[in-house]
Amino acid sequence: MSKTAVTRITHSCHLIEIGGRTFLTDPWFSTRPGYYQGEPIAVAIPDLPKLDGVLISHEHYDHCDLDAFAAYRDRSVPLFVAETVVSTARRHGFTNVTALAPWEQAEVGGVSITAAPGKHGVYEVTFVLRAGSDAVYFAGDTMLIPELADIPKRLGHISLALLPTNGLHIRPANNMQVVMNADEAAELTAILKPELAIPHHYTFTKGFLGDRLITHSDKNPLHFQDASRTLAPETSVRIVEPGIRIEL
Amino acid sequence: MSTTKTYSVAVDGAGPAEVSVAEYGAGQPFLLLHGGAGPQSVAGFAEKFAATHQVRVLVPTHPGFGGTARPESVGTIPALAALYQGLLDQLDLADVTVIGNSLGGWIAAEIALLESARVSGIVLIDAVGIEVPGHPVADFFTLTMDEVFARSFHDPDQFRIDPATLPPAAQAIAAGNRAAIATYAGSGMTDPALVGRLGTLEIPTLVLWGESDGMVDVDYGRAYAAAIPMAQFQLLPDTGHSPQLETPDQVITAIWDSANTDFSAFTR
Ligand SMILES: [Zn+2]
Repeated sequence: MSKTAVTRITHSCHLIEIGGRTFLTDPWFSTRPGYYQGEPIAVAIPDLPKLDGVLISHEHYDHCDLDAFAAYRDRSVPLFVAETVVSTARRHGFTNVTALAPWEQAEVGGVSITAAPGKHGVYEVTFVLRAGSDAVYFAGDTMLIPELADIPKRLGHISLALLPTNGLHIRPANNMQVVMNADEAAELTAILKPELAIPHHYTFTKGFLGDRLITHSDKNPLHFQDASRTLAPETSVRIVEPGIRIEL
Repeated sequence: MSTTKTYSVAVDGAGPAEVSVAEYGAGQPFLLLHGGAGPQSVAGFAEKFAATHQVRVLVPTHPGFGGTARPESVGTIPALAALYQGLLDQLDLADVTVIGNSLGGWIAAEIALLESARVSGIVLIDAVGIEVPGHPVADFFTLTMDEVFARSFHDPDQFRIDPATLPPAAQAIAAGNRAAIATYAGSGMTDPALVGRLGTLEIPTLVLWGESDGMVDVDYGRAYAAAIPMAQFQLLPDTGHSPQLETPDQVITAIWDSANTDFSAFTR
């Protein structure tokens, strides 16, 4: 049987291999004023492998860069998305777009795709991919909410968790927090009890001025690793550079 | 310490334009754009900024200012913006903050409208360019130099010079600067369409305004900030139309430590 593996492309954009299929999460392949990955984009769109599905958690540009991803060679690739992404995706020429609400499920070539809840500045869903005994949880850039504790109860054991850790705050919105922080990600790790957890969404920067005026975030993924050692000692945490493929 | 280089920058639909750029320090990049008072009105600030922080400050002389030649192809504020965008491309710079004072602030706003990912933020210091009903930009061309000094500074006496006592070379440069202002900005110093166009910007923006600015008043500054989504406005005390010249330390602090500023203190 083929191995379950993940390759971080950049930020929240990953390639997930599971059940012999390949999925892309939250495509982001370009930059704009005030939106920078803070790390390389390890795979360019022409170099993407054949995708069996694409998961999109919400419509923010750094998670749903369809202006760029529309250049992917096959726009009939199945997209599984938050319902707020459907019309944009169709407008970009994607023909096979499925909205998944929390706990709704779809299937591609023997891999089940289940949406899970999320909470962010806008409507967001997260995703569990399962093939046999392996399951990958992709948390987009959600906050930690109590509903996430239902994931193992409803969907069974998670083997690999991809969790955001920068605790992004929006300064002009009363410094509102919109993404879970390192401690909260470690708390979620303790709930999900995966064998492996990999942080993402931590090098993001709005640039010199934007990091001062608009956002506030923790750019050090070691904080998550440290917190997990205490809260979830059974889980191995790996900090992964873009472009490195990690097998479960 | 600075080094000055002349770059030949490709301009759309015309031959390359030459632009002289003084460069200070190394590190986080800033493009610092002077106003009608010319490059020497920002040089001291650039030097101080580079001496106190890990920054690389690029200070171009707008063609036609400071005794430089102005090519026919560069005669408007948007053309200057395109020229500097070309310069940033040529230097392959990323995460650039563009700072502009007065006319330079207008250029910075036009650069932001080009939406290059190289430019991550803009700082407008007593900028001109928009039209605000009831708050006209003072007409530089009908004021005496004495009036210009009185309106430009909180404490004009330490900056006042008598142009008639300048050596002929300096008088020629001053005349060239005046002609360049007229070419780029006209006498109104505004583009009536600019304020509407700014509403599309998504770039982090800091608007700094000298409380004693008599060339462009504080309400004009607030209107500038209000025209740009998410822009933050900060009033600077005891300083006029060129805070980077009159009170450079507080401008450096306002930019570098802007994460600690309580902007709600300046909403009215
Ligand atoms: Zn988001």
